[in-house]
Amino acid sequence: MNDAFVLPTRFGAQGLGGCYAPETLMQPLLDLEAAFRAALDDPGFQAELKAELRHFVGRPTPLTPAPRLAAKLGLKALYLKREDLAHTGAHKINNALAQALLARRMGRTEIIAETGAGQHGVATAAACARLGLRCTVYMGVTDMARQAPNVARMRLFGATVRPVEAGQGTLKEAVNEALRAWAGHCTEAHYILGSALGPHPFPTLVRSFQTVIGEEARAQVFEQAGALPEAVVACAGGGSNGLGLLIPFAGDGLRRMAVEAGGHGRALGEHAARLDGGRMGVLHGCRTLLLQDEHGHTAETASVSAGLDYPALGPELAALVLDGKVEVRRASDDEALAAARLLCETEGILPALESSHALALLPALAAEGAATVLLGLSGRGDKDLSTYQSRLEL
Amino acid sequence: MTLNPLLPFLMAGDPSLEALPGLLAEARALGLDAVEVGLPHSDPIADGPVLQAAAHRAIGRGATPRRVLESLAGLTDSPDLILFTYVNPLLQLGLDPLLRLLEPTPVRSLLVVDLPFGEEPGFEAELRAAGYPMVPLLAPTTTSDRAKALLGQRPDPGPGAPFAQRFAYVVARLGVTGAGQGTDLDPVVARVRDLQGITARPLAVGFGLSDPASLRAVRALGATPVIGSALVADLTTGRPIKACLEARLV
Ligand SMILES: Cc1ncc(COP(=O)(O)O)c(C=O)c1O
Repeated sequence: MNDAFVLPTRFGAQGLGGCYAPETLMQPLLDLEAAFRAALDDPGFQAELKAELRHFVGRPTPLTPAPRLAAKLGLKALYLKREDLAHTGAHKINNALAQALLARRMGRTEIIAETGAGQHGVATAAACARLGLRCTVYMGVTDMARQAPNVARMRLFGATVRPVEAGQGTLKEAVNEALRAWAGHCTEAHYILGSALGPHPFPTLVRSFQTVIGEEARAQVFEQAGALPEAVVACAGGGSNGLGLLIPFAGDGLRRMAVEAGGHGRALGEHAARLDGGRMGVLHGCRTLLLQDEHGHTAETASVSAGLDYPALGPELAALVLDGKVEVRRASDDEALAAARLLCETEGILPALESSHALALLPALAAEGAATVLLGLSGRGDKDLSTYQSRLEL
Repeated sequence: MTLNPLLPFLMAGDPSLEALPGLLAEARALGLDAVEVGLPHSDPIADGPVLQAAAHRAIGRGATPRRVLESLAGLTDSPDLILFTYVNPLLQLGLDPLLRLLEPTPVRSLLVVDLPFGEEPGFEAELRAAGYPMVPLLAPTTTSDRAKALLGQRPDPGPGAPFAQRFAYVVARLGVTGAGQGTDLDPVVARVRDLQGITARPLAVGFGLSDPASLRAVRALGATPVIGSALVADLTTGRPIKACLEARLV
């Protein structure tokens, strides 16, 4: 273990996570951990964050009962935690805003971020505009094409969007480039990582800024239903909305489930389902389940959803899965698209393609006998309209 | 110990694995003690565009970690080699296969860019015990106290050991590998002087060095300049390695 850190750097029985960072980034990561710990202990920071979450982000987000969809699927009750209604349209703002506040506290004037679906980029750009920080977002060229509305939104918020041409032009390459940029500017810039990934302390930092989702949802479902659901479900890219929703239900003895991108096939390169196809490895600073070839080269991934199209599962979520505390399933591109259409038609809610993967698990859950389900609707689907138009022939 | 005047970096498999033994023999004929050989990786987060492109070309030509090490087996006219790599390919090979592959090669130490001391303690200790110590890296962000700790965690095996196992790598500037445009040497000169007050072991200085004047400035400090991206870029133009290196030894 790296004895210079104070917080635990590893997760679960197999010691996932860690801090596999180049030496240049070690001191910045140590400083970040120290600033994070100080902020957690500072009532002033907590109050500021709470006020921003309320007045800027619009928290608490609603918990919406979805009776028509539930009836259609054969569930007794279904509740949707509406992160799509958070400002900028996804849960990503919870973390982006909190880290931007932390960066300002640390005296950083520049922000670097990566983005896949563009939701984290938009959230970071918005938070930076609000706090007066300069913002540069790295985004793969494939994702820029399929999430074009979000590119325009980032630019409107004053961010510089840097296209990343390398490899498949998706989230993995964007993270590579953001890490490189941070190494070059780590004395004045903070890197706002968008999921529960990367070297310590990022997974812990991001997760702790996202558990507000599950804390609210748990209280809301008690209030509305008078009881806890039988299962809680989220989609999993890196794992930030999943951990944020699932962790507050840890002591409740219910099924906690995460859904990965099944893409369009089972072979390596055709999906982003790390549990079936992944092996333990190190990518982007942490040890976790990773899609890779026998040589330790990261594998290509595929998903209709840019936000889930990433070869590694975040270390804490992977540890919960390996330790038997969270179940992981996969949903294919087609299943996710069909689930999105069904939610639109039955409840008048347009989900993000990422969130649609969680929705796609519901028929199976109903078939397994689950009666009441709480589902994390991590984001809204406006950014995905062009994909929906072409794939659903609208 | 006389000053090793240059530490060249080559990306294994670029231009080809077949060419590697010949390139190493040329370096040795020029009297160089050691060469860094890069294991091409899919996600080289500490490398700039030149070495990224070289790694991807090499992977495209089949330069897997196993093949790279096999191509180095049994070389007799090679300088000592420092294997420059990311940690995941080593973990995927596994300790015992890795040791078996290393054994017949001139590799004398490992420079694992993304492996801070303490993250894989068992793996690192076994490699050290087998004769493959990890090279300590000292960055511009490394405080003096931290540098002392790092140099102690990955200690100098002593004057009897070759340069490849003794030196510490001083990262010249923030950022990634790559030939720097007009890298300002003053900060790194000051850092090297400070580090020389902390340690007696040889120092190599790399990241962004390319022109002969910068290399001379590093030598004048009693440290060994590393030439990486600029050499790799030169070699892709087809220029012979002898000429590339001679131009940087003046
Ligand atoms: C709406 C939405 N949901 C989910 C994700 C997946 O990320 P994570 O697993 O970190 O929640 C993303 C990522 O871009 C997203 O935009």
